[in-house]
Amino acid sequence: MFACRLKVDGSGASIAGPVGDFVGALAERAGLATRPAYWLRLAADEITTNIVIHGYRGRGGVVDLEGGVEAGGVYLRIEDDAPAFDPRAYDPAPRLAVPPSVRELGGYGLMLALGKVDEFRYQYVGGRNRNTLIMRLTTSGEAHGGVDAERAGGV
Amino acid sequence: MAFKAKMRIEGSTATVRLEGELDGRSAPELNELVVRAADQRVERLVLLLEDLSYMSSAGIRSLVFAHQKMPEETEILLVGTRPDVAETIRLTGFDRSIVMRETLEA
Repeated sequence: MFACRLKVDGSGASIAGPVGDFVGALAERAGLATRPAYWLRLAADEITTNIVIHGYRGRGGVVDLEGGVEAGGVYLRIEDDAPAFDPRAYDPAPRLAVPPSVRELGGYGLMLALGKVDEFRYQYVGGRNRNTLIMRLTTSGEAHGGVDAERAGGV
Repeated sequence: MAFKAKMRIEGSTATVRLEGELDGRSAPELNELVVRAADQRVERLVLLLEDLSYMSSAGIRSLVFAHQKMPEETEILLVGTRPDVAETIRLTGFDRSIVMRETLEA
């Protein structure tokens, strides 16, 4: 078991770089296979970008990441001080029903974030949003290859 | 891996080769090329993605942007898309509006 932490200032144009590096190092240390590592990084990228743009509305704020291995899975906990927001409440169906030629440009991030992680949890604790992403490890140490979008948000 | 995007326009086709990671930092670069291609009134936009290792929702937004910036009859072709990037596109339902091929000749 191990844990690692990262605190980033969400006032920059993009925190994708440090978040991607952090999740990459976490996945490597945890022995996560290439595919689930890709989807964990994508989920972290989307959740943190959503916090910075919509949660903090571009005005900046702290985003805390903590990751590690426990109970047969790799977890990544992302916390922020923006107004309470449960990503599972986002319904992509209306957007998907519209042809791309007339769609709005954005709104895909949360769909991708929740689409492939094995488990997603949301809590509002002590005035903070806490998003927890989990990728399970099999007994052989290899991670699952991700799950279908229909299982997203089932926690 | 650093992002690189290089565009070549021949006749009515704009071909853009993407390398590295397409995310919030790099997507504006692709959008600029899309605007240039649209200004040239190309009929076909080919994106060569063999060396694109990562695409976030910012990349999906670029594809939607291209779809809306180009005339409706413009064909958008994605070539050599890696499995995880292709799955990202499929999750957003955008695969129904573009053509994905393994090779340019296929």
